[in-house]
Amino acid sequence: MQEFVDGLIASGALPAGMPTWLLYAAAMLVFGSLVIFVFALLVAGVTSWIERRVWGRMQSRVGPNRVGPQGALQWLADGIKNLLKEDIIPTAADSKLFRLAPYVVVAGFAASFVVVPFASKWIIADLNIGILYLTAVTALVVIGILMAGWASNNKWSLLGGIRSAAQIVSYEIPAGLSLFPAVLLAGTLSMQGIIREQGWAPWDWYAFHNPFAFVAFVIFFVSALAEGNRTPFDLPEAETELVAGFMTEYSGMRSLMFFLAEWGNLYVIGAVVTTLYLGGWQIPHVTDSVILTQVLQLGVFFLKAYFWVFVAMWVRATLPRVRVDQLMVVCWKYLVPIAFINLAGTAVTMVVLHEVPVLALPLRLGITAVALAIVVAFFRRVRYQLRRARPELYLSPVI
Amino acid sequence: MSITGLEVEVERDDGFETEEMTLNMGPQHPSTHGVLRFVIKADGEVMRKATPDVGYLHRSIEKIAEKVGYASFMPYTDRVDYVAAMPCNQGWAMVTERLAGIEVPRRGEFCRVIATELNRIASHLLAVGSMAMDIGAYTPFTHALRERELINELLQELCGSRLTFNYMRIGGCAWDLPPRFGEKAIEYLDHLEPIIDEYNALISFNKIYVERLASVAVISREEAIDYNLVGPNLRGSGVKYDVRRDEPYSVYPEIDFDIPVGTGEAGIVGDSYDRYMVRIREMKECCKIIRQCLSKMEPGPVIAKVPRNLKPKPGEAYVRVESARGDMGWYCVSDGSTAPYRLKIRTGSFAAMSAIEHVSRGLMIADLVALIASLDIVAPEVDR
Amino acid sequence: MTPGAYFNNIREAVTTVFEGMSVTFSHLVRKPYTVQYPDRMPIRVQDTLPVRYRGRLHVDIEICTGCLACQRACPIECIAIDAAKDPKTKGITVTRYDIDLAKCMYCGLCSEPCPTGAIHHTSEFEGACYAIEGLIAHFVKEPFTAYKRKKEGETDPGIKELLDRGLRYIGEFAKPAAPEAKGPSERAGETE
Repeated sequence: MQEFVDGLIASGALPAGMPTWLLYAAAMLVFGSLVIFVFALLVAGVTSWIERRVWGRMQSRVGPNRVGPQGALQWLADGIKNLLKEDIIPTAADSKLFRLAPYVVVAGFAASFVVVPFASKWIIADLNIGILYLTAVTALVVIGILMAGWASNNKWSLLGGIRSAAQIVSYEIPAGLSLFPAVLLAGTLSMQGIIREQGWAPWDWYAFHNPFAFVAFVIFFVSALAEGNRTPFDLPEAETELVAGFMTEYSGMRSLMFFLAEWGNLYVIGAVVTTLYLGGWQIPHVTDSVILTQVLQLGVFFLKAYFWVFVAMWVRATLPRVRVDQLMVVCWKYLVPIAFINLAGTAVTMVVLHEVPVLALPLRLGITAVALAIVVAFFRRVRYQLRRARPELYLSPVI
Repeated sequence: MSITGLEVEVERDDGFETEEMTLNMGPQHPSTHGVLRFVIKADGEVMRKATPDVGYLHRSIEKIAEKVGYASFMPYTDRVDYVAAMPCNQGWAMVTERLAGIEVPRRGEFCRVIATELNRIASHLLAVGSMAMDIGAYTPFTHALRERELINELLQELCGSRLTFNYMRIGGCAWDLPPRFGEKAIEYLDHLEPIIDEYNALISFNKIYVERLASVAVISREEAIDYNLVGPNLRGSGVKYDVRRDEPYSVYPEIDFDIPVGTGEAGIVGDSYDRYMVRIREMKECCKIIRQCLSKMEPGPVIAKVPRNLKPKPGEAYVRVESARGDMGWYCVSDGSTAPYRLKIRTGSFAAMSAIEHVSRGLMIADLVALIASLDIVAPEVDR
Repeated sequence: MTPGAYFNNIREAVTTVFEGMSVTFSHLVRKPYTVQYPDRMPIRVQDTLPVRYRGRLHVDIEICTGCLACQRACPIECIAIDAAKDPKTKGITVTRYDIDLAKCMYCGLCSEPCPTGAIHHTSEFEGACYAIEGLIAHFVKEPFTAYKRKKEGETDPGIKELLDRGLRYIGEFAKPAAPEAKGPSERAGETE
């Protein structure tokens, strides 16, 4: 995006006398708001609808299908309904913190869009510490949740807020450790840089580069789910235990802010996983037109990122919740040691492959084949489930 | 921090002074099964004490019996435990028949058993479904309810209602089986058994689920007997006691079925996972019972001749039936008039509620939810 | 924790999650069980319900015999009938027949003892009203003489239709075997 602004200054559309940092800042604000309002909020809203439809089908029911074609405007109806609701603030609640908390959470979520890439030339700011900035900014969410839990003056909310703080802070460690293999392999922290080092073919992606990176990819996804408060780690908002956890006392638009941040965060998780491990927006060279390549890259990136959103929804439909102490056990006893081993292993593999470069491609092809075998085994298991239950089939998503 | 000023300082071994929180898991809560209230004294996540508070669903059903009389009381027995209403119908019918000396025709007994076992499957489906939902998995709940819907349709054909059946009468059943009911029931059972396996694959053997329930809220054999637990709760602790086998009634002596017992397969005998798996296995046993009944039935009347205004001789009777939640006791004292002098219903959920306070010491709040769900407590049975 | 148990935990976690996710994925291609009532139904739900379904009560007042069996049988006293023996015509004059449907618990005990099947459950289950007074059903428009079953059979076609339907309804209920019957003469039970 920096080049774009430079181009605009050079062509005279923007006054040349002003300090460039001011122009960059203004451009970032403009593009940032564009991305947030046009893209992020839309994606968060539509994700809520898709989640409800996907959940519905997985639970043998339908999901919203009345408001708009197939219920596609349901999220808009929910948003308008929440705007029109009464704004209830408990009298004994700390009202300043209570009001501020949703905005802190949304700020943490929105700020992460600065480094989310869309295509090779479309990113708001290609910071050279991109991934580090992302990790730092998603930790803002913890502060917001703690504020929400404390300021509600409700012991259940407090429990939810504290659980969430413990969870997010703990899972920062395996998440951070698991993004280092990708950083090591790419040699840079910048998001676009990591993507550029990968290729468009699956065996060029970092996920299939060596077995340690594959495991790191899985661990990163699991830790990112925990950071986003998604099942199986959704204790802070465990509906059946704490009513709604830290969100209990919130009504109307304030509660919708929390949900917005959660669904939008799903997309950010998907985007980061795609960037680091699945080749980002890389496509083979199909056209010389710059705009068309950008659009195709955007499409590929979006599809890859959204697939992980779908997987997160799917996991939420399937798995139960872990308890708080089991959450900590999983993090500290399982994910962190394995993440360390992955980091060390990736470094060792890089050294070995530097010495014996002929091993690189067979290793990558081998791991891609293993991943493909897992996918094939999965679909065979699905077919077995269908054969055993002998249900009536209905393949169309339109009901 | 002292929100209400009522917190108590807690003595801990590590010298770290904390305060005990008093939480109210109120009558309105997404995961207490009905209107139950617990006052929890918790030290962070770990509970010191969870005191149950009952009575939010008390409807004086036992007193109503003294007013409406024997024959008219049958619809009220449905409401004693609306999740598994057929055994309640049967209990009331049996205690009145024992007082009045009425004998139920053989086909009537078979119809009763079929209806009861179908209802037991439905009740267990609801129990395991809501247990999965309380632990956090939302899908198994909908799958279990979907299967329960099919039983509701069968029972709707049988007696006209899906929840409060009023199927049995003093002396037998109100309706005989409708045409082709046996075929439809067997079709349903053939459909259900693979679905139970699929349900197990989805959630019962899931590692996270097993970890949540294994060795949690262990009720040992002695404790279970001391606290008067019955039904799947008792069998989950390893005690092989089932009223249908140990004090058989109706046509159960002629039917061959197993009694699943908790064996500590994932942890310690008597943990929540054992009680859960006992219910899953019992569903399969119910399928066996229904198939045998349908093959053993012969044509005949389903109801005996009963005088219009039934006046049993003065006396008292106590009858046990195996409801979905365990041994349900019906004690009736008759004084020779058309209404009982006193009726007392003893339910398994009430005993289970009283056991919670003891078992919940040292559990976490998340485990309390698992405990209530695994004891399959329903509020109408507790409060009547 | 032994290394064996550690790796066992990881293995079990991965395999059971894989299995569970395959079950939920297989549900994506199954037909949802939801019935999209009331607008996307091929036929009205009321027409799909079985004969024995206990919906709203209805009284065919033309064949009511004024015996008050339903009022006595009701456990919740929601049926209010005013019937008096008329000394002039030697029949029973029924002046009021009200059912308080707000109290009715749809148990079916009233339809069982009715000799003609006048009071019966329909398959109507949508009974919401805007005011609770609307839930009291008045079945008697003007006082009339209660019906008496004729020994030689009913001749009036309108009444005969109601009577036949009513008798079919109460024929669904099980009847005890008559003490002198040996064969399947008075059994109302269906054979399997």
